[in-house]
Amino acid sequence: MPKVTYTDHTGESRIVEANVGDSVMETAVRSGVPGIVAECGGSLSCATCHVYVDEAGLASLPPRAEMEDEMLWGTAEDRRDNSRLSCQLRVTDGCDLRVTTPATQV
Amino acid sequence: MTSTRTLAGTASACPVHHGYEPFDQDDPFPSYAALRAQEPVMFDERIGYWVVSRYDDIKAVFEDWETFSSENAQAPVRERGPQARQIMEEGGFTAYSGLSARVPPEHTRIRKVAAKAFTPRRFKVLEPEIRANVVRLIEAMLARPERRGDLVRDLAHDLPTITILTLIGADVDKIGTFKRWSDSRSAMTWGDLSDDEQVPHARNLVDYWAECRRLVAEAHETAPDSLVGDMVRMQAEGDPISDHEIASVCYSLLFAGHETTTTLISNALRVLLSHPEQWQCVVEDTGRIPAAVDEVLRYSPSIVGWRRRALRDTEIGGVAIPKGADILLLMGSANRDESRFEHGEAFDISRPNAREHLSFGFGIHYCLGNMLAKLQTRIALEEVARLAPGLRLADHADIHFGHNLSFRAPAAVPVTWED
Repeated sequence: MPKVTYTDHTGESRIVEANVGDSVMETAVRSGVPGIVAECGGSLSCATCHVYVDEAGLASLPPRAEMEDEMLWGTAEDRRDNSRLSCQLRVTDGCDLRVTTPATQV
Repeated sequence: MTSTRTLAGTASACPVHHGYEPFDQDDPFPSYAALRAQEPVMFDERIGYWVVSRYDDIKAVFEDWETFSSENAQAPVRERGPQARQIMEEGGFTAYSGLSARVPPEHTRIRKVAAKAFTPRRFKVLEPEIRANVVRLIEAMLARPERRGDLVRDLAHDLPTITILTLIGADVDKIGTFKRWSDSRSAMTWGDLSDDEQVPHARNLVDYWAECRRLVAEAHETAPDSLVGDMVRMQAEGDPISDHEIASVCYSLLFAGHETTTTLISNALRVLLSHPEQWQCVVEDTGRIPAAVDEVLRYSPSIVGWRRRALRDTEIGGVAIPKGADILLLMGSANRDESRFEHGEAFDISRPNAREHLSFGFGIHYCLGNMLAKLQTRIALEEVARLAPGLRLADHADIHFGHNLSFRAPAAVPVTWED
């Protein structure tokens, strides 16, 4: 099964088994992973599912679409080169993605 | 004396409705609690809506947009009278909804263009201007020798209106006109007006819609650096959106872009000042303001009820709902549901999960302006805490809320202060 590793800002990690086709945000919310708020439920309107993607995994992801890129200017903790909105990241077969959540989403 | 009227109303009228009075907004919360406990999915024949009051049911309906359409979200609750209809037809009024009552795939297409124009970068640059406006408005209020003010009139009315007019590129000297049009839209769509009462509002809606169309026509001519200018440019570059649709988005933003934020700012100060120990916490540590704003949104949302229509036979919380049924989701009730919020009836800015409120909806129609609304409310609270930390509600402030199915807006928030 594909999996996603969520590391919070203190360094604590959780590994969650994920379903192909779900988003990295949905996977986190369903498993109660703290650090991902996802107020709007995935409609690209709140920027509260911000994650920093591990450099190794970054290259495997499709690039940001225009609206995701715009919304990343509205995150609570400043965006970096590896910033993504986890509602836009789809779990794929065999994926082993590692993301870090910011200290705050609001 | 509203409290007496409300109590009497609760006791005598309609025990079958658990005290719920659809248009009465002074204190709907006891009836919400009764509905959640006794009949969480109730058909209210007085308005023709299935009234849903529990958190999980409401969130599930918002999420399932394929079953529950938003097509009725802007429909007049009370049918338009013949005179109003004639005025609107003759006046060329063809608006219905910018986004909230549109459905996919049309909604998806238009929202994409509107969202690209209404980005965090667009409004974050306005932060210094918003702050300067708060300071100017508060200082003007504090300069009054009688030491009395009304936070709706003196602050919350103008602040978000200036912001949205600036973003859209409309005339900021016409705050009063735009507010009047918004009040008419609110009354005509969610109010309980007689045919005669509708007439002046119908005229206002004609003028309001004409201004939306004019803004689009003007943007084609002058290519302004504004939200409308951006949408017209996107259209020219191939984004699929018509002039009527851009005007409809303006019709939406010129209402939703300030009306509910005026209410949020008013409620934030009203609720915090009525809990002086929590106001003191905010004054001493303004870092607590974002959490306080979320708790205000939960405890006292600007919109307490929003509508959907069932597109097929279905069920909500185990209750059979027929195809075509109109549904009223009471977010004001969901936000106090004990199954989600411990001691839900208590206001507590340290509540860890206040952000799970449904005040901005949930899913594909989630409030486009949520970040701008919170930004402006945060700035307003920061500056009031700095400039007027000793502000308090006026003694005997008897605060009332307008008669409306969905919008719960205080008419005034009277305050006073020491020198």
